[in-house]
Amino acid sequence: MKGALSPSEATGSPQADGQGARSVSDRLSRAGGAVAAWLRRVAAWLRRIPRAGRVCFAIAFVNAAIWGLVVPPFQVPDEIAHFGYVQYLAQTGKPPPQGPRPPYSAQEQLALENLNFFTVIGRPQMRVILTSAEDRVLRAALATHPSPVGEGGATPITNQPPLYYALEAIPYWLSPSQDILTRLAFMRLLSALLAACTVLAVFMFLRELFPGSPWAWPVGALAVAFQPTFAFLAAGVQGDNLLFLCATLTFLMLLRAYRRGFTTRRAVAIGAVVAAGALAKLTFIALLPGVGLALLLLTWRTMDSGRGTALKRLATSLVVVAIPVALYAVLNAAVWHRGGPTAGGIAGATNSALPAGGAVTLNQTLDYIWELYLPRLWFMHHAYFAEYPLWSTWLNGSIGHFGWLDYTFPAWVYTDGRYLLYALAALALGGLVRVRRGIRSMVPIFACFAVMALGLLGAIGYTGIRYRLSTGYPFEQARYIFPLVAFLGVFVVLAARGVGRRWAPALGGALVVLAMAHGLFAETLTISRYYG
Amino acid sequence: MRVRILLTLAVAAALAALIIDMSGRAPRTAGSDHASPIIFAATVPGHGTLCQPAAYLPQDAAQVQILIGSYGRPLGDLRLSFLDAAGHEVAYGRLPAGGHEGLLLIPIMRIGRAAAGSTVCLRNGGSYRLALGGEGGAVNPNSEVVNGIQQPGRMSLVYFRAGKESWWSLLPELTRRFGLGKAPFFGSWTLPAAALLLLAVWIAALRLLVRGERT
Repeated sequence: MKGALSPSEATGSPQADGQGARSVSDRLSRAGGAVAAWLRRVAAWLRRIPRAGRVCFAIAFVNAAIWGLVVPPFQVPDEIAHFGYVQYLAQTGKPPPQGPRPPYSAQEQLALENLNFFTVIGRPQMRVILTSAEDRVLRAALATHPSPVGEGGATPITNQPPLYYALEAIPYWLSPSQDILTRLAFMRLLSALLAACTVLAVFMFLRELFPGSPWAWPVGALAVAFQPTFAFLAAGVQGDNLLFLCATLTFLMLLRAYRRGFTTRRAVAIGAVVAAGALAKLTFIALLPGVGLALLLLTWRTMDSGRGTALKRLATSLVVVAIPVALYAVLNAAVWHRGGPTAGGIAGATNSALPAGGAVTLNQTLDYIWELYLPRLWFMHHAYFAEYPLWSTWLNGSIGHFGWLDYTFPAWVYTDGRYLLYALAALALGGLVRVRRGIRSMVPIFACFAVMALGLLGAIGYTGIRYRLSTGYPFEQARYIFPLVAFLGVFVVLAARGVGRRWAPALGGALVVLAMAHGLFAETLTISRYYG
Repeated sequence: MRVRILLTLAVAAALAALIIDMSGRAPRTAGSDHASPIIFAATVPGHGTLCQPAAYLPQDAAQVQILIGSYGRPLGDLRLSFLDAAGHEVAYGRLPAGGHEGLLLIPIMRIGRAAAGSTVCLRNGGSYRLALGGEGGAVNPNSEVVNGIQQPGRMSLVYFRAGKESWWSLLPELTRRFGLGKAPFFGSWTLPAAALLLLAVWIAALRLLVRGERT
């Protein structure tokens, strides 16, 4: 780095040293001023959020943090792999190289073994550490200071982009102790923070959608905050938390730009959240066709202010997306050598070849995607599911399939949940009719949202059939549709609105209490599963 | 006012459901040897003995559940012994002959202090072989030993506390367990703290909903 030295730094004369010191001091002073100005702007921006939104944020954060205490270490799905990615990144400064080598550090492996992790997951009658003697054995094992630096071998998530893991590296290093469980506790708080940001984004989305109904904003946001599957994921180190936030922010930004105008600043904001989403989890790519359509719609609506201006804003969004994504692709291929621009992530999800020979056909794929959400039609020859996935996977999974999908509520909860859904769906339909005038103008942007949702549902099915036919195991989990969690808030508000304007806030409040009770019983279920 | 009335009713219903749920009495777990009864992992011949190391007996265990198959025949007399590192019996259990195969609960009687590193032995007093539920796996120092010969696998032992308890009566024990196996700064204060935080969250959410009605 010699070439980076200025002449004065190179000569090292006293005069030059004095000038250098002044220069550094000036620079620090300017940087401090810039940071203070930026913080003032952030504070001003935060003050513009309604108080109710800030309260929803705080409630969601504390609720997710409580879940982080209730769920034992590494018992959130794939948390061992997500933690392993963060630890490798934090320790080495680069994402895991993948390949056939041990995926976890000696420290993580030892912790997992002494937490009885491998004998607890998938075995609902087995408990975590229940006795002081077992706890002492765990502490003694960790006190041997096994290495936190692993080899970065392949896990199901090492082919994902590194944004979430880079963010998690901050609490990893800020942890006051190098103890793995202390680090995990701090890292879980970041997930809780991301979940709280998602809830705030849902609040702002509802504010944009129903500007004349302030009661609706906290109702929809709190229904999301207390949703137990959402909160369960927020309890752990899990990359989905950033995906949910980026997807919800994308819906919010697009809706804002549609209602208030596609300004340069909003074009940058849309580009930034889309880039963050693409660098958070590859699943986000499924939303891109709909996002592209929405950007074209916004550009077309901005043509009134000049064709050049509109196209410039579209280009701004695209450039803001393209630069970080392209940089990531280049780093993957040329610097980190992770097996291609997407680290094998897209190839892994789209590989049609089956281990026993043959390949997944387009016909099979389309049948599978249809049957994943809708009843099988008479001309569909492939029957992939013993039970109807709309109920068994999506509804029941959303009501709660917890842990590593190894414990559930009693069966009657899911049966009654379906009847409740019928009632709420009927009310929501009524609510939609009631508010139709207010939201009619937003049909075009909601058509784009529908394309985004269809992209996600299609991608789940596309990947799902390949995984299922290759491994024999089901792929789909309810959490995969949670990038659409903003529409859970919309659904709850519409259901409340279904009983009319006078009773809507009361029913909305009751639905939030139902969500709170749902969350509470999910927590007691979790306590009985692991500690009872 | 409508919101306030409906919220009061909804919260009262939720709390009533919680009280009913917490008051349900059932046998409660005391721990296990971390082997699930997913296969029949051992066969013990008539008058044979299976011993298994690393069988820590929890202090509050009053009975142990074992999956036993007898190929349709009535069970013979079964005796379970927990031995300390020196080979002294610290606890035992007995199931008289004549029982049926299945998931069986054997009461445990203590005659000494069970320490970590105990060994558990099950003696089949009947004339016919028994199959015991557990997990397979390669032979290792913790594997089961049948009539002195080490076998791959481990018998599953799931311990239960005495009698039937409600969650209320288990609460002090839950509070203690909740602080284990987590970051060192957590402890028995963690569950009460989480409960208080949850109460605060509920109050904040309800206040927000009531204020929302006013706006």
